[in-house]
Formats: sequence, structure tokens, C-alpha cells
Amino acid sequence: MRRENRGQIRVIEAFLAVLIIFSAFTVSANLTVSQNRPPRIDLASVGTEALMTLDSDGTLGYYIANGNWTALREALSLVLPIGTTFNLTVYDEYTQRISEAAVSNGGFNSQDICFVEYVCASRNPVFSSYIVHLELAVAS
Amino acid sequence: MRSRKETLKRNSSGQLLIVAALAIALLISSTTTYVYEVTRVTDNAPSSPASNLALAMKQTTRNAMISSLANASNGGAISVLASNLAELSEAVSHLSQFGICSLAGTILNESGYASGVRLEWGASGLGASSAYANFTLQVHGEASKMTMRFQINVTTSIAINGSYVTLGSGEKNVSLICYVGNDGLPSLAESLRVFYYDAGNWTQAGALNGLAVKDRGDGTYSVSFTVAVADPVQVSVQAIDSQGIFVRADITCPAS
Repeated sequence: MRRENRGQIRVIEAFLAVLIIFSAFTVSANLTVSQNRPPRIDLASVGTEALMTLDSDGTLGYYIANGNWTALREALSLVLPIGTTFNLTVYDEYTQRISEAAVSNGGFNSQDICFVEYVCASRNPVFSSYIVHLELAVAS
Repeated sequence: MRSRKETLKRNSSGQLLIVAALAIALLISSTTTYVYEVTRVTDNAPSSPASNLALAMKQTTRNAMISSLANASNGGAISVLASNLAELSEAVSHLSQFGICSLAGTILNESGYASGVRLEWGASGLGASSAYANFTLQVHGEASKMTMRFQINVTTSIAINGSYVTLGSGEKNVSLICYVGNDGLPSLAESLRVFYYDAGNWTQAGALNGLAVKDRGDGTYSVSFTVAVADPVQVSVQAIDSQGIFVRADITCPAS
């Protein structure tokens, strides 16, 4: 009986060995797949960097001071990644809203909306400071 | 005895196979997990929102300093820096994203600075317009508490050097080299005006004097013009840099 079963046991053992190695490969492959997901964009950093880029040469303050909302919208569209929707509102230092028109490139169709708050100081010899509220979302 | 050992060996060879398989599986899994963890830490390294605010605030305060210096150097009161920083602090106090924010600016009143502004427009061929302030940014929020201190110094400088040659007509051909810099880097002069001292007045050199200004593209400008003045030939160069900051330097040109 034992000798008759020995062959079957060898088959079961070999099967188990294959199963163990195969499961190791399966787990590893899953880890790799989950890692290949596109990294989540840190929208807050992206938004802050975009505003800082515009502010680095005084462009942001210049557009706001002149009420040039069209140019500001176009400039933001250029510095933000493609597929990002935004809505920008500008207030003065006493939180009175300045921007009458919506500085936006479309409606939000994502529930993952990020909010960025930024203080902009104009470089104009006649000083002005503004509080900028920027809402951002990745278009789905 | 020998055949018994061989039998035992043969019987346990399947178990060895499983143990070896387990060891290989363990190696594969641990290696993959290690690689995954190492790369995951790099990918998900979060940028602190408060650090974003700190970077943005440095940018904002620099702009405020540039605005104040542009105002003060163009004839405004030097107290403009203090009032502008007070206005900026007011705006910062309304930020609420990370909690309660406060920005305190302390203007420098030593080392040639008065109310944080230094306007040194000397007769030795060097001139500088500078603003300096120390800042303390504080954020008190549920998620982040932060205190950051930093200094902002905005300086626009000019250096001129030159000489003159007396022409056969008795007029003097003045050649100058002007360097305009901003925070130690070459700067573009939006406006460059040249004056010479004649009969107790500063007179602007222009087309009548054959004024020629050549931009060398590295913050350096070659200037030449002809004047009919008695010795000494005193020249003043006034520049406004690309940020709107005014700076001036005077020099007495020697004969070459």
C-alpha cells in the first residue's frame, strides 16, 4: 500500500512546491501592478507652484492690479498641467472680493477638489496685496 | 544499514523539495516587497502644505520689498516699507487654510539702513539702492504648527568707470562703462540716463552730445558722448532696473 501511494505523494509534494512558488510570483506581480498606478498628483503643491511661477516676475500682481482676468486665466491654463480645471477668486487684504468675473477654465466634474490660498504682493511702486483663492480639480 | 539510509533519503526528497520551494518563494516575496517599499516611500513623499506656504510667503515678501524700494528710490518716503509690510501682515492674518497665520516684519535700522532702506548714491562711481527686513512667519493650526524666520534683502547696484579724451575742437569725448546689478546678478536697465556737470547744473546728455549707449547683454553698458566743459569732467549715471528700482552713481572722469 505504501509503495503504491509513494508515487501519488511525490506528485502531491511536487504540486505543493509548484503552488508555493507560483503563489510567490502571484503576490509579487500584484505588488508590481499596484505600484504601476499613476502617482496621485499633489494638487495643492501644483497650485501653489503655479501661482508662485506667475508671481516670480510680478505677473500675477500685475494682472490682478489691472483687472486683466482674461490674461490671468490664460496664464494659469499655461502653467497648470493639462487636464486640470481651476476656479480663481481674488480678494483684497480685507477679504473684499475684487474679481467680479469668474477666473475659471470650466466646471468641476470631480469630487476631489483641492483648495489653495495664496497672498500676492504687487511689485508696483504703489503697493497692493491680494488674497488669492484657487480651487483645483483633475478633469475626469 | 546502507539501503535503509538510501530509503530514508529517497522518502524525504519530496519534503526537501517543498522546503526548497518555500525558501525560493520567501526570497522572491521579500525581494519584491523590499523593492516595492523603497519605491513607494519615494513616490508618496508628501510635500508639507506648510512648507508650500513658507515658500510662497518668501516670494510674497520679496515682491513687497521690491515694491517698497521702487517707491522709495524714486522719490517716495522711506517709511513706505514699514507701511507696506503692515498691509501685507494684515492680508496674511486673513489666511485660514492652515490655521491662524501671522507675519511680522522687522525693518533694519543699522549698517546704513534707515527704516529698512539704504540709498547710497555715491560720487565714487558706486551706487546702491537696498531694502532689508527680517520676517517671522507663524502658523498655528490643528494639523501644522510652524515658526519660520527669514531675511529678505533686495539690492540694485550700479558701478561706473570712465575717462575722457580732449578732441581737436577742445570738446571732450567721455567714455563710460556702467554695470547694473540686482542682488549680485547682472540686471537689465529699463532706463539709463547720463548727466554731466556744467556751470553748476547737471545737464542730461542726449543726441546733441552724440550720446551712444551700447547694451552688452551682461548688465554692462558702454556709454560715450561729447561735451564742451571745463575740467573736472563730472558725470552722473541714473538707471532704473527691470524691477523699477532707481539707482545712481557719480564719477569724476580722469583724462586718458
